[in-house]
Amino acid sequence: MNRVILVDRLVPNLFRLVLEAPEVAASAQPGQFVMVIPDGQGERIPINLADWDREKGTVDLVFLNLGVSTRKLAALKPGKAVEGLAGPLGRAPEIAGSGAVLLAGGCYGIGGLYPLARKLSEAGRRVVFLAEARSPAYLYWEEKIKKHADKFLTLFRSDCLYSGHDLKELLDKVRASNPDISLVMVMGCSYLLFKLSAAATGLGLKTLVSLNPIMVDGTGMCGACRVSVEGRTYFACVDGPWFEARGLDWQEYFNRRKAFLAQEEQALIRFDRESWNRTE
Amino acid sequence: MNGIDRLEPGQAERLLREREKDWRKALRRELSVQKRMAIDRQPMPEQEPGVRIRNFKEVNLGYNLELAREEARRCLDCGSPGCVAGCPVAIDIPTFIKYIEAGELERSLEKIRETNGLPAICGRVCPQEVQCEKDCNLVRAGKAPVAIGHLERFVADYLCLREGTGPRLSFSPESFRRPEKIAVVGSGPGGLTAAADLARLGYQVTVFEALHLPGGVLAYGIPEFRLPREILQSEINFIKALGVEIKTNFIVGRTASLEDLVRAGYRAFFLGTGAGLPAFMNIPGENLLGVYSANEYLTRVNLMKGFRFPEFDTPVPRARKAAVIGGGNVAMDAVRTALRLGAEQATVYYRRSRAEMPARLEEVKHAEEEGIVFNFLTVPVRFLGNDRGELKGMVLQRLALGEPDSSGRPRPVPIPGSEFEVEVDLAVVAIGQSPNPLLIKQLPGLKLGRWGNVEVDFQTMATNLPGIFAGGDAVRGGATVILAMGDGRRAARAMDEFLTRS
Repeated sequence: MNRVILVDRLVPNLFRLVLEAPEVAASAQPGQFVMVIPDGQGERIPINLADWDREKGTVDLVFLNLGVSTRKLAALKPGKAVEGLAGPLGRAPEIAGSGAVLLAGGCYGIGGLYPLARKLSEAGRRVVFLAEARSPAYLYWEEKIKKHADKFLTLFRSDCLYSGHDLKELLDKVRASNPDISLVMVMGCSYLLFKLSAAATGLGLKTLVSLNPIMVDGTGMCGACRVSVEGRTYFACVDGPWFEARGLDWQEYFNRRKAFLAQEEQALIRFDRESWNRTE
Repeated sequence: MNGIDRLEPGQAERLLREREKDWRKALRRELSVQKRMAIDRQPMPEQEPGVRIRNFKEVNLGYNLELAREEARRCLDCGSPGCVAGCPVAIDIPTFIKYIEAGELERSLEKIRETNGLPAICGRVCPQEVQCEKDCNLVRAGKAPVAIGHLERFVADYLCLREGTGPRLSFSPESFRRPEKIAVVGSGPGGLTAAADLARLGYQVTVFEALHLPGGVLAYGIPEFRLPREILQSEINFIKALGVEIKTNFIVGRTASLEDLVRAGYRAFFLGTGAGLPAFMNIPGENLLGVYSANEYLTRVNLMKGFRFPEFDTPVPRARKAAVIGGGNVAMDAVRTALRLGAEQATVYYRRSRAEMPARLEEVKHAEEEGIVFNFLTVPVRFLGNDRGELKGMVLQRLALGEPDSSGRPRPVPIPGSEFEVEVDLAVVAIGQSPNPLLIKQLPGLKLGRWGNVEVDFQTMATNLPGIFAGGDAVRGGATVILAMGDGRRAARAMDEFLTRS
């Protein structure tokens, strides 16, 4: 039983969920994820570990409220429980090395990168944290992250992505003031992963992305999360979720994430209608 | 060869002792051999094909008492029963059948349970035609074999489900506790059998299951129309009643390592981690939307109840033209699932011919009755997609059978220039699976075979690491439920010896 300790709306569309999960907390490593089943009818969905407390035996998940499963999670109340929580899953990325690490996160990825910032700084590496958000109102955990980041930069939509500004130029500026950056790690929505890693690899920087494809079991059993890197197929759940951005088949990744888009919309409409009827 | 020669030491004598009991002698005299042989095999009542392709309810409805006793009368109670030797867990088949004939159903179930912890499941999913029923002496007389599987299923269902009394225990698990803790990794048929046997021996057994429901392949792989979930639940309840603890959502190798479990006091391990690594064909277009591993397709439907979407949240692809590649039970399960999910056409493509299909006879028969199309000696060479990356068709190649390969089956040889194209919007790859490497690759020094399978001594199921035993598909690749159970049974015995010795 994984009881809910806390549900907190961090920003308008992002939630923090704290769950009782002593065994997962005991084994968690930065960069790993868990599979969560919201309720008895629920789907198994992967969510990155944003934090954990080994003494209290809890894990923190930050997620975007987007579909039925995340709606259900966001609606949980303390004292209730999720149907299931399994993990930690995926390979923890290798963080040994020299030079600074640029952690670039948007959306749930800001939270998901926090444990990496902590571990990297504890290991003595310089951390440059770049938080991407729609606007300042969508930024969270700034103070928490700053404790483990030598630099904290922000990137808002007006500065990039949709604005026509060249992300590569922006990134080049970051590197100019932090010439020791030897590794870029990106977590967040697919579009951010794609745009940022295109810019970073374009500058010749080694770039790791945390992929978030559709998964079912999360233990390498089903192959739903197939991704292609340099023409070879990998299972993101057990071979990843971290992959070198260079050589990744982005088009395939975008396509496969949308495999059930029609059903997801159908389910969401049904869920919202039912929720509406309950409140009537 | 006389079947009885293949039995384990002591087994033939035990069989004979049972056979010479007075009630058995009396029962044999009740009906002459001629009259017994004149009875036809009782057909299994089934849902009509036209009805069952619209639901996920079990196809076989099961014998009633009358049918079961009539079928039981067909068993000649012969002196050298080939059936027992053909059974991987050596159930005393004549005795349980004769108890049915005598109407002593509880004794019958007790007899089965002596060697088989999951009779309701084995009666449904075992390939009886190549095991017990193959060596039935009626076959030698030119008759259909006794429907041993149907009878096994009947006894288990009759007592565990219909009477609603649940399984009864002939001993109290608390009475002879042993202090040693044992970890069983994986709650499939191998793990559950090992756990049940070890619990009967008094050990404290914990089964660790990575998924949120126990049963392994019985839960995620085998569809409800072959194995209703209340049957599985009833068998799992029986194992829990023996004192076995099942921890779900616990991935040994991630949630805790094997060393963590050693530190937590576990003294011996059974690795029943299954064949959870799906094989793909490595042909162009395999990552298109609409191409699934059988594991994913069946897990979405069975474990996640996707066939009840949107009531359940997990979606499943709904196809118009479904193609399943492979010729085993998994392929039959997948193609019949596609049909039930509304496919206008559901087709099997198998690279060998009908004779080489590894699927159970009954599954093939059911599939054909349901209108599944079989294409033999064909194999896909590439999948075709549209600009959104969605599967639209596939290119197939015809094959001919050549010389036997290492498996003893004729090797399929491509016929040049025989390529042709078909339109499909769902392709399920069911060409086999290999052992899930998640845990076994983490154990330094564990000896693995060339397919990544755990190497064991098949007498004891011991791996090369002391205290670590393994069985089922983790050892065999994609095999059967009953072989996994046989492994679990032998491992339990050897683990008991290991712990008693050390």
